[in-house]
Amino acid sequence: MGTKFLFVVLPYVSVGVFLFGILYRFWRWIQTPVPLRIVTTPAPKTRLGVAWRLFGDALWFPNLFKADKLLWVGGFLLHAFLWLVMLRHLRFFLYPVPEWVRAVQTLGLYSGYLIPLPLTFLLARRLLIDRALYISILGDYFALLLLLAITVSGVLLEVFFRTYVVDVKALVIGLIHFQPQVPDAHWLFVLHFLLVMALLIYFPFGKLMHSGGLFLSPTRNQRANFAQRFINPWDFPVAYNSLNLLPPEKYREMLAGPGEGKR
Amino acid sequence: MRTPVPIPEIKMRASQHQVCYRAKDKDMAKIDLPKERLENWKEAMLKKMAEVLQKYRSVRLFLDICVKCGACADKCQFFLGTGDPKNMPVARADLLRKVYKRYFTLAGKVWGRANEAEELNETVLKDWFTYFYQCSECRRCSVFCPYGIDTAEITMAAREIMAAAGIATKYVTEVVAKVYDAGNNLGIWPPAWKDNCAFLEEDLKDTEGLDIKFPVDVVGADVLLIPPSADNFVNTNTMIGYAKMFHAAGISWTTSTYCNEGGNFGLFLNYANLKKINNRILEAARELKVKKIYWGE
Repeated sequence: MGTKFLFVVLPYVSVGVFLFGILYRFWRWIQTPVPLRIVTTPAPKTRLGVAWRLFGDALWFPNLFKADKLLWVGGFLLHAFLWLVMLRHLRFFLYPVPEWVRAVQTLGLYSGYLIPLPLTFLLARRLLIDRALYISILGDYFALLLLLAITVSGVLLEVFFRTYVVDVKALVIGLIHFQPQVPDAHWLFVLHFLLVMALLIYFPFGKLMHSGGLFLSPTRNQRANFAQRFINPWDFPVAYNSLNLLPPEKYREMLAGPGEGKR
Repeated sequence: MRTPVPIPEIKMRASQHQVCYRAKDKDMAKIDLPKERLENWKEAMLKKMAEVLQKYRSVRLFLDICVKCGACADKCQFFLGTGDPKNMPVARADLLRKVYKRYFTLAGKVWGRANEAEELNETVLKDWFTYFYQCSECRRCSVFCPYGIDTAEITMAAREIMAAAGIATKYVTEVVAKVYDAGNNLGIWPPAWKDNCAFLEEDLKDTEGLDIKFPVDVVGADVLLIPPSADNFVNTNTMIGYAKMFHAAGISWTTSTYCNEGGNFGLFLNYANLKKINNRILEAARELKVKKIYWGE
């Protein structure tokens, strides 16, 4: 019963929360209008240029590079390693395993070994720099520690407690085809699996949504097409308060004389 | 070689005492805001906050996606100058973010203070009034944020929310009220504006022997010039420069006594006043039937 919940119910629940959570967050952002052009210049003038800018923002963080070189190294390595590890894990999801997934296996493996380095660096940084310590909240530590626990358990599974990967693949493929099979798994694999499910459930609710939010960020995804009029969808006509100003006509009368400022 | 400004160690509440003066009743009345802080200020602010979150994707998104990496922390001149941690752009935004989390997000309602969510109370409001008016909306932080989070958007939202509950500063509200009163930030009355222009004409004739006009309220001129009003009051050399330039180029131009201010303090207060002040430029242009507006600040 316990293992059935763990390997059958939980995966569907967490993937469901993950997908619907992300969709919900995107829906909330997209249905909120963008009233003003607030693009950060210098900005591209064309849609293609914007796509390239966002692509760069997502992959190599140019703004962070300008801001803090050391933090950029830590952040960039973490994200690069995470991508490679995720690509390596595709071998559990695809049958037959495509050639390009085979090609990244070794790279993914070493990335997995190395991930704890940037994670520890980012964690230490939060604790050692007074500014970072001041702004850090529970969610920041939680995300880092969760990723650390996932990678450490994953590396241990690879190195010391070798898992029978055919069983793992049977589990994943079974879930994908809605014919779940419950494997006979080591406790460390159970832990690794549980932590990943926790990550999926946590993902839409916290700071990890920065990954999707970037693409909707108005300062990054708008164009510098200042010659075109930008329409505010909720704009309203302005009405002046009667307490304000004497009407212009009254001024005109007062201004009739040449140069002399008489009240 | 640029010398980097040394990054200060954080000094808790270092600039807490630098608080703006409260707005005056008479100015608040002129700019369509409650005269003083409302009895039910908390409800009024939360209501306005819900409205702002519905109207500005920037505000909602920026409150949601900050990862608190600290890239912006040492980029704000107010932090570099004071060392007060609440002047780090991320921490400034957190003042709004914690209230947003408490009332508008599931995670904030579940985790509460452990995840920085906080009730809107007198202490939080005091921080808002202090630190949201220690931001110049320069947007430097947005240049360094990996997601382009623009703290000026957050600052503007917070000021808009406070203004709706009758909470604003004397400086900003006074200037906005002056624009409605006199047509410019400095409060130069229309007769005085005209007088200043006549004075500059005479001055130019006496000193340089030039016969150049400073037209005021001329209907049918080609260009309406909207200078910063200080150009007709302190930086008069700039005003003389405009006149010489128009004269040399042979362009017919005019200034307006209804609107002669390129700066817009509505930006520091709320959207409605921002729009009203800008709208005056168009009204003046239509009134004077000009073809173009030259507008600087």
